[in-house]
Amino acid sequence: MASSPINTASASPESDMPAESSLLVHLTAVSPESLEPALSNLALAFPNQSFRVAIPDIAPNLTSAHTFNTLRLVPYTPPAPSTTFWVLTAADYFNTYRLAQEHNASACLLLGADSHTLSPESIRNLASATLSHNSDLVVSHYHPGPHEGLLNSAILYPVTRALFCAHPRFPLALDLGVSLRMAERLATQAQRFTAANQEDALLWPVSEASVAGYTITETDVPRRSAPPPATTELNALLALIAGSLFSDIDTKASFWQRARNTIPPRALEIGAAPTEPLDVKAMLESFHLAYSNLHEIWALVLPPHTLLGLKRLSVMPQEAFRMADSLWARIVYDFILAYRLRTINRGHLLGALTPLYLAWVASHLILVHSGIPPERHIEELALAFETDKPYLVSRWRWPDRFNP
Amino acid sequence: MKKAGSATDPLWYKDAILYELHVRTFQDSNGDGIGDFPGLISRLDYLQDLGVTCLWLLPFFPSPLRDDGYDIADYTSVNPTYGTIDDFKSFLAAAHQRNMQVLIELVINHTSDQHPWFKAARNAPPGSPERDFYVWSDTDQLYKGVPIIFSDTEKSNWTWDDTAKAFYWHRFFSHQPDLNFDNPAVMEEVLKAMRFWLDLGVDGLRLDAIPYLVERDGTTCESLPETHAIIRRLRAAIDAEYTNRFTLAEANQWPPEVRPYFGNGDECHMAFHFPLMPRIYMALRQEDRLPITDIMAQTPPIPDSCQWGLFLRNHDELTLEMVTSDERDYMYFAYSADPRMRVNSGIRRRLAPLLDNNRQRIQLLNSILLSFPGTPILYYGDEIGMGDNIYLGDRNAVRTPMQWNSDRNAGFSTANPARLSFPVVMDPVYGYQSVNVESELADQSSLLHWTRNMIALRKLFQVFGRGTLEFLSPDNRKVLAYLRHYDPASPSREATATGTARVTSPNTETILCVANLSRFAQPVSLDLEEFSGMIPVEMLGYVPFPVITDQPYPLTLAPYSFFWLELQSTAGRAS
Repeated sequence: MASSPINTASASPESDMPAESSLLVHLTAVSPESLEPALSNLALAFPNQSFRVAIPDIAPNLTSAHTFNTLRLVPYTPPAPSTTFWVLTAADYFNTYRLAQEHNASACLLLGADSHTLSPESIRNLASATLSHNSDLVVSHYHPGPHEGLLNSAILYPVTRALFCAHPRFPLALDLGVSLRMAERLATQAQRFTAANQEDALLWPVSEASVAGYTITETDVPRRSAPPPATTELNALLALIAGSLFSDIDTKASFWQRARNTIPPRALEIGAAPTEPLDVKAMLESFHLAYSNLHEIWALVLPPHTLLGLKRLSVMPQEAFRMADSLWARIVYDFILAYRLRTINRGHLLGALTPLYLAWVASHLILVHSGIPPERHIEELALAFETDKPYLVSRWRWPDRFNP
Repeated sequence: MKKAGSATDPLWYKDAILYELHVRTFQDSNGDGIGDFPGLISRLDYLQDLGVTCLWLLPFFPSPLRDDGYDIADYTSVNPTYGTIDDFKSFLAAAHQRNMQVLIELVINHTSDQHPWFKAARNAPPGSPERDFYVWSDTDQLYKGVPIIFSDTEKSNWTWDDTAKAFYWHRFFSHQPDLNFDNPAVMEEVLKAMRFWLDLGVDGLRLDAIPYLVERDGTTCESLPETHAIIRRLRAAIDAEYTNRFTLAEANQWPPEVRPYFGNGDECHMAFHFPLMPRIYMALRQEDRLPITDIMAQTPPIPDSCQWGLFLRNHDELTLEMVTSDERDYMYFAYSADPRMRVNSGIRRRLAPLLDNNRQRIQLLNSILLSFPGTPILYYGDEIGMGDNIYLGDRNAVRTPMQWNSDRNAGFSTANPARLSFPVVMDPVYGYQSVNVESELADQSSLLHWTRNMIALRKLFQVFGRGTLEFLSPDNRKVLAYLRHYDPASPSREATATGTARVTSPNTETILCVANLSRFAQPVSLDLEEFSGMIPVEMLGYVPFPVITDQPYPLTLAPYSFFWLELQSTAGRAS
């Protein structure tokens, strides 16, 4: 750990405080205008309990500070600053553990950007689960619309579930609860990045907890608006997120190749039918264009059977366009392997994944608009990833190009 | 300033894959025909990609090079033909950056006769501190009967020095006088040299010729209690002043005699298992597992923090000192038809030529190397099946330049070929035009790719470096079958649970290895009753085999084939 102390100062009086909780709440990214509503929700979440709220770089000159007399504000200057706010970063985990140490916290809540949109009940549920002593990692379970969070549904969730035998539906959740030992473990991982000036690097708390054998639970967060990502360019976003996940998988190969627990079926919510019109034309065009232009690159990464599947897909009309779950699972697995082997430049590799991802999104949305509940399809997809995990293990162990 | 070692786990050497190389023959960067540190740095990506985790460098110190650098003339600098001390530091940093550790040589039994200490000693009067750095005698009858190691070259362990007017003691070549460890000043100088390299961040030290440090009349002058006391002093200094470093003993002795070099975990961290190596070749040629199981039965347990170093070949001859005379004769007949292939008490050939360049045999022996209890050590070039040159003198047959591609000098150097320290191998089978890294990287089915995959697979399982070994005894002796088991929660190897429970407890790894030593297909029935209900999963392809029952488990093995089977519980399988 770096030894620079976190610069903190208490913003509320010590007197007249109810019994203080050992929980530390860390608002990792909060704008001045959303601070008051965020604190207000926190105060409502725990009307009879006092706890510390760490806030980066915001002067505590609140107009209505007295309203939050159960909250002890802890403004601090982050030793590891991050400029990324739409997702939790290495800097956030590093800073959280430092704060937890300084304030003798036994557990921490990390609430990401736009945390003011979290309801008091959601915050209370997260905190209760975190303090329950049975959980090292509490992961938020959001309920996005049918057109939202699809990168998570297509790759992050099924891959994490299959490889690390972990159930959280949102492995890259923006709001987490962590025990002190989990915070320490994440900080240790984070330090590898912060020491190399990569404060904005992503970490994967679910896989980290799985490797450590820590307990993971999920808590429902019915409503929350997600902050927009730093870039709206899909190529860059997919490269950033998938690249980080694939690296993490490479690092933890000796664990996930031996993890063999199965995840019990999830109780599915039916959810509302999509209200947006179905518009997948651009996605399909992107896929068809890539099928002509990127075929040579795909041929370096994908085996003949998968290429044949893509060929069939390329001639399907929109109405019948359907990418089989097992086809998508094997595509993702082969890209994970190619990333590990550096079959081609990693940037180019992830770029070549984008049109395939768009094809999956188009296929998924067509399915959802035909009346299939999105969560049912996502669960079927996750099962396909689990079923095909031996495919990845065998390819990983013997990455011969001469395969079916 | 003292630099930290690069490893974080104190027992990292147990999980390591060592790669032995000579700076001199690995890569030349300046076209002088001699390999150097900048050249080696340029090849680190290759080594990282191969998957090796620790580089063992043969001596790179100033030396007259009459024994390939083991005749050291200065302990604390770099031979100028290989670079500078700054070049070494750059290499060390570059290796560490790639998560590779570095093992160097600590050759303290003897120096070169060109070392300033010896030059001073021979000119100093008897009894003076300078003279006492070495072992002198007025007669060559002292320590009579002590074996001569380089018997092809030396007729005595004593050589007369005209300047000193006395005999000096040398267990190796006559130009390598033995240091006198009865003189405390020698120990202080050795500690200084050791600290010099450890302070730079070197991760390990190979203690060359360690049994011969101290001489006493009436003994074999090998492995004396005084020698062990010296090793304990070196180890104590390392433990007191450094973290996560290790020492590797070169003690070419029978296993029970090597055992004391581990002490109670307070001498060497690792020691080579010399007698195992020739017996692997013997078992292969005889198509009988007995030589291997027999020597392993004679191998005593070692402290939990210690580890055997395993190898198939190295920079020396395939030593036959640790075999009976009948076994030695057999090995000569089996593996060195041409007398030029023999040197001292061994065979100076590389792995591929020893095995008649048979890919299945090479893979089989590597599978044993990678799955036996210990840390495997690869010799540079063996990963691509390099050949040797038996027309070079001494042990230089196996020290030819690394073959990188089919360009001039095999891509090793741009120098005039006549200027190379050793010529590259050019014969039609093993010549650099056909056997080289570039062509094997391009060939997905090459030995290089196979080796890389096997190393990666081994690294996924700690059981190979840390687990217990238990031989099975099927009737068919052409089949070698053994179980490896590792329970991270077990306090020691000896305390590791046996029986089915050992497989089902969390985080344990149990692996069944089966090898066919025969050139023909072989059937075998294994008694795996204690694992009844488990599924063996073939590890290379992740292929589940039929469930084990309380009946003998039948397997059929292709010629020279092997299986690594992970025993998995049926309950936990995902599919």
